Amino acid sequence: MILARLALRNLLRQRRRTALTLMVVVAGFLALSLAGGFMAQTFQGLSDAAIRGGLGHLQVLPPGALEGDEAQSLEKAIPDGEALAARLRLDPAVAEVLPRIQFMGLLSSGAKSVAFLGTAVESTLEPKHMASAEALQGGALAPGGAGSRWLSTDPAAREVILGTGLARALGATVGSSLTLMSTTKDGALNAVDVEVVGLQDLGLRELNDRFLTVSLATASQLLDAGPARSRLSIVLKRPQDTAREQARLQTLLPGTTVKPWFELASFYRQVKLLYFAIFGFMGLVLFLVVLLATANTLLMSVMERVREFGVLRAMGLQPGQLLVLLQWEGAFLGFMGSALGLAATLLLRAGLNALHLVMPAPPGTSHGYELNIHFVPVVYLIVAFGLQVTIQVSALFPGIKAARLRIVEALRHV
Amino acid sequence: MTRFPPGYTGGMLQLDRITRAYELGGERAGVFGISLEVPKGCLAVLAGPSGSGKTTLLQLAGLLDAPDEGEVRLDGKAVSALPEKARCDLRLRRLGFVFQAYNLVPVLSALENVMLPLQLQGVTEGDARQRAEAALARVGLADRRHHRPGQLSGGQQQRAAIARALAPEPLLVLADEPTASLDHAHGGPLMDLMAELAQERGVTFLVASHDPSVIARAHRVFRLLDGRLVGEERS
Repeated sequence: MILARLALRNLLRQRRRTALTLMVVVAGFLALSLAGGFMAQTFQGLSDAAIRGGLGHLQVLPPGALEGDEAQSLEKAIPDGEALAARLRLDPAVAEVLPRIQFMGLLSSGAKSVAFLGTAVESTLEPKHMASAEALQGGALAPGGAGSRWLSTDPAAREVILGTGLARALGATVGSSLTLMSTTKDGALNAVDVEVVGLQDLGLRELNDRFLTVSLATASQLLDAGPARSRLSIVLKRPQDTAREQARLQTLLPGTTVKPWFELASFYRQVKLLYFAIFGFMGLVLFLVVLLATANTLLMSVMERVREFGVLRAMGLQPGQLLVLLQWEGAFLGFMGSALGLAATLLLRAGLNALHLVMPAPPGTSHGYELNIHFVPVVYLIVAFGLQVTIQVSALFPGIKAARLRIVEALRHV
Repeated sequence: MTRFPPGYTGGMLQLDRITRAYELGGERAGVFGISLEVPKGCLAVLAGPSGSGKTTLLQLAGLLDAPDEGEVRLDGKAVSALPEKARCDLRLRRLGFVFQAYNLVPVLSALENVMLPLQLQGVTEGDARQRAEAALARVGLADRRHHRPGQLSGGQQQRAAIARALAPEPLLVLADEPTASLDHAHGGPLMDLMAELAQERGVTFLVASHDPSVIARAHRVFRLLDGRLVGEERS
């Protein structure tokens, strides 16, 4: 412990230099921790959007559903999807099962027809578990303006919610009557007249231009679907068990493919990879800055203490103990830097979150979001550990230099 | 010049035909073929003008450097060819050093400086503190033990350095120009202290100095000139 005490005293000897080095470490900790909190917010937002956007925690798909395109609607479907959904609802881990039909066709206003991608949902259950209905509840602020609402729960109602771009292309508003055209699962052409009851802003321009939502009853009539469903979205009681439940349900449902949401949410995965690349590079640069700053501080400290090291060696200190001494100095720098960095991070995080800053809309999306940097202890631990390792590495070179000093030359050093 | 027969183990320190040469300003310098013996409890002085090889010889005796030729024996054991780890251990447990510029660790108090070699030996903090306080009391610095080197006078720092050298109870203390940074009023008493300690504790001192007041207090004086031993005086 004498070496640790000596190391601490040495750091306190050059207070200004130590403070400057600590500032670099604190800045590194702050930048990486805030970036980590921001990433966590983004990932949380994206995962919520993916799960509550319709994927659920798990999806049950017909075999081969993810390979190639469907030539016609329900070509790849779970033949008795409704029965399977009913069976799954009895599973103790499952909170709800939301059957869906995905289909395509033409939407016509009479004067103009536009190709669409449609999703049919259970109009009663969907708003309870998914976010799709929330965007329609903004009254006058909703994309479709006042009067925009979710699909009726009446099975006889023939209603549609359009993406804002699709509505614009057809000149449709809430209350417009349109015709949905598609092929039944047997390949016959069919059409259903529907009323526009809401407009949806899905966040992505490409989706807004093509996407519409109808009830399962409407889609069943249009596609002559019967009990067939394209997929089942499963909402779990314990979302943290997604991976485990996926494996369990896959064994229970051998003729289907059970996928977790994170394997299907390609946008989420792409953003995650992009963020890891951006912040990983930023982290690398910051670690390099910390490495150079601390190496410089410790090297200067060694150069100023050459004679002192000579005396310590003359007194019997082993070369390896000088290396340990410098490692202790690095350890204290890292520990103090991380402790101060954590305090600064928590303060700045609280300050920034209190400002309720609205971030600009991310690329490809149509609305911004409020900055809410998450508190992520594991990120703080990783950053502290990374900085500590970096500083210990930076202390190696000065330590080796000190250990290699020839005693007689060190004692002559002025 | 003393020549030791093979197997002779007398004296606390024996230098047997020691040579250590190096280039200095394009000229060959160092010490050449020096043999000498310092008995236990003796205050011996290496005397000579600057460049005569006093410090080089002291460093060889203190295992801070290795001779090109010859042998250093400490308490009868050949030590100069030992590996570095063993030499470190010997310096830690058997040797003490006092330097011209005191060379106390500036961030430690006088007490902590004296405790340092003891703690490096693995002595517990409590024991180290007790022994360090006793050593400081012996050199008259008990009341200044919590002062840092910067708060002590030159004479006080050198006394603290002597306490640091003596606290581990070494066989041999090597002192390089210990009075060179002190005025006459402080240098004399310091040497008296060393002579008393040599007498009282049987510690052997080898001091490099050209200060007449130091030489006057020595039990044995080895005179060096141009890296060679040119005379030996005993009191």
